Amino acid sequence: MSSFLRPDENTLGVIFGRRTKGGPPGVAKALRQASARGATLGTSYLGVGAGVLSAIQALYGLSLFASQWNTYPQPLTAAMAWVLYVAAFVTALVTMSVLGDRLPVWIFVLYLLALAGAVALDFVAIWPLHNIGLYATASISAGFGLMIVVTLRRGREMLAAAGILGIAFLVAIVMDGHLTAETFPSQLNTLALAVLPTVIGVFVVRGFRRMVQQELDRVLVQSTVSAPRFAVGMLASEELARLDLAAEDLLESVATGRTALKLDPKTASVAASLATELRLHLIEGRRETWLYHAVSESEMLGKSVTLSDKGSLAGLLDSGQRDGLLSAVWLLMSDTRKPSVARTLSLTLGPVAPMGERLPNNQIPVPIVITTTDVPRNRVDPAIWASISRVGRYSDSTERSSLRVDIECIVDNPADQ
Amino acid sequence: MELIAKERDRLLQRTARFLGLSGTIITLISLSFPGVVRFGDYIATIPFLLFLALCHVMISRNRTLLWAILGIVSGLAALVIVRVPYDTPPSASLGTAIAPLGAAGIACFAIVLVSSVSRIVLVVVAGIASTLLVQLATVQTAALSPTSLAIILGWVLSAVLGYWLSASVPRAARRIYSIGRAHRAERQASETEAQRRQGARLLHDTVLATLTLLAHSGVGVAPEALRQQAAEDARLLRQLRLGATPTPESSGPYNLTPVEETPLGTTLESVKQRFGRMGLEVSWHGTGQVLLPSDVLDAFLLSLAECLENVRRHSGVTQAHVTITDDATTVRAMVTDSGIGFDLDVIDDDKFGFRESVIGRLREVGGNARLFSSPGSGTTVVLEVPR
Repeated sequence: MSSFLRPDENTLGVIFGRRTKGGPPGVAKALRQASARGATLGTSYLGVGAGVLSAIQALYGLSLFASQWNTYPQPLTAAMAWVLYVAAFVTALVTMSVLGDRLPVWIFVLYLLALAGAVALDFVAIWPLHNIGLYATASISAGFGLMIVVTLRRGREMLAAAGILGIAFLVAIVMDGHLTAETFPSQLNTLALAVLPTVIGVFVVRGFRRMVQQELDRVLVQSTVSAPRFAVGMLASEELARLDLAAEDLLESVATGRTALKLDPKTASVAASLATELRLHLIEGRRETWLYHAVSESEMLGKSVTLSDKGSLAGLLDSGQRDGLLSAVWLLMSDTRKPSVARTLSLTLGPVAPMGERLPNNQIPVPIVITTTDVPRNRVDPAIWASISRVGRYSDSTERSSLRVDIECIVDNPADQ
Repeated sequence: MELIAKERDRLLQRTARFLGLSGTIITLISLSFPGVVRFGDYIATIPFLLFLALCHVMISRNRTLLWAILGIVSGLAALVIVRVPYDTPPSASLGTAIAPLGAAGIACFAIVLVSSVSRIVLVVVAGIASTLLVQLATVQTAALSPTSLAIILGWVLSAVLGYWLSASVPRAARRIYSIGRAHRAERQASETEAQRRQGARLLHDTVLATLTLLAHSGVGVAPEALRQQAAEDARLLRQLRLGATPTPESSGPYNLTPVEETPLGTTLESVKQRFGRMGLEVSWHGTGQVLLPSDVLDAFLLSLAECLENVRRHSGVTQAHVTITDDATTVRAMVTDSGIGFDLDVIDDDKFGFRESVIGRLREVGGNARLFSSPGSGTTVVLEVPR
């Protein structure tokens, strides 16, 4: 009967949660923009670095191989392993640069197969020597060769590939000859050399990505510092726009007769809820301060910071004070050695005390209290104190074995503005 | 930049710790294999390896170079002690066993030390020292053994890794900051956009009224009138979406008035039409062309619409008169009906939301409203706004 369908999203309840998964739309949007222009936020450069490291190691492996040429029972097989490895390595590098930092699954699989072939040929060549650890060359380089795709494939896939390579080495070492005091160290070294480069590569890339993500989050939130005293935030404006569009669709469908009058109850209730939401957005939108938006839009702060600012006093801070407060909170939350530790922080602004003494220029003091959990007083970075001192005069103490900071922030009286 | 530099240092330190601990542990396992090294040397080496591991851990906690230097010294000391006594040849696999210590356990400090020239000198010296010590511990001492070459390789790879990682960060940072700038612009734009949409209150007023009618399934309104109203509101919303800030007026395609000021007459006409569709006939008297700043106009029209809505709901008549007059300083609207009226003393202003929605709105823009009524003789509201 009705041709008008309910929009996919309810803006107040956010029911049909595109947004429930993943980070806040701010970061997601920025990341989308960043990747849309083919930029990879530094990881592609990191990938080139991995290529350089692998190339240096390959040179070392080749020279070792050349010096051992005469000891090989089948030097040609080992040479074929090298040819295969170098060909695969160069092809992969060229393909990746041509495709613009993308590595489709089938190319990745082909590359892995080529590496596996090189490892197999190398093992076949040195098998009669009964000392994999001492004579393996191309197969070790294959472990380094995995590193060049570490920025383009998921960490788990890379670790699995390295694990399979390690198992191949382990099996070969155990099956080919027995372990003595003379051979054990070189076998162990070889095993480690095959696996460690990829593991370290995954470790570094993860750390790097985390760092970039965090910095991006911080920079995006930083833009709230220049917001007016009350702002609607990035979400509210989008939602208002979407509500307007939904209303337009509904009205249009009524106007053109697609939706018959009188309306069926379902469409009528859609109209009712649209009206309610629109009304709420029109009147409620501008009650939040920059600090609220900063906390709610940030992936990192949103999880662990609770803000209580009943009088919307945060809006009174000037941009230097805002910057100081935001970076102090940011530093307190990010300055943790163990990323998994659940640090929490709560920020309380106000209430403004009745004035005891008159301040010059009729300014008013806003008390700000930062209480934390799991932040030892003696581990606080000096940069945090520098940031806090930009907000105002402060005193710090310990509360339930964690840091507490009381700041007296002097702001202009809003009545004068 | 300051914050990301700190994060970069932390990443470098963590990477160094990871690599260093791996190398140290591998050497420790190799040395633990019976026969690789004399037992006395093994026992004497262990404290140095443990101290080295401590340095690896501490380097990520403490930003001073002290731990890196202590780590290098204790690592080199371990390399010296493990070879004792020097007058007898080493065991066949000793060199290979301590290679991970030299190539990763100590070389990992290169990752955090490549940031300045003086530190690179330290890296080179420590690299040469560890290579020579491993060379001493290997059986073939003619030229550089493959094991010693591996030590050099380890130092080179660590140094390149450290350099490359630090060089990647500023590149990433530049991208991030340009995204940040774009985001700030977007935030400002979104703020402006939200203000524009919220500022289009008059438009939303009529849209909300229509939606409310639809919410009651459109009962009590002629379908044709409702359809016409819906079409008009949809058109206004489309204009808003496409970037214009329409005030509900049915003028031609060209708006010749200054942006800041909107003619009152045409807007009044649309208010009249809206109430006409809902069953209240509004008659206009007086000035048709008054120019008002848009915020004043908004407040004026919203108040006017509120008064007419009260007439429609409560007066019991279907006709209202609006008289617009203006002088040099003020625009005045008088809304009169001949309905049931009410006793001002009995019924509080607040009853009809009058105080909030009419007086409040007008006072915001410097205007005022007065209400006159008595039971049985209709109601008159005078609205005033400054020009």
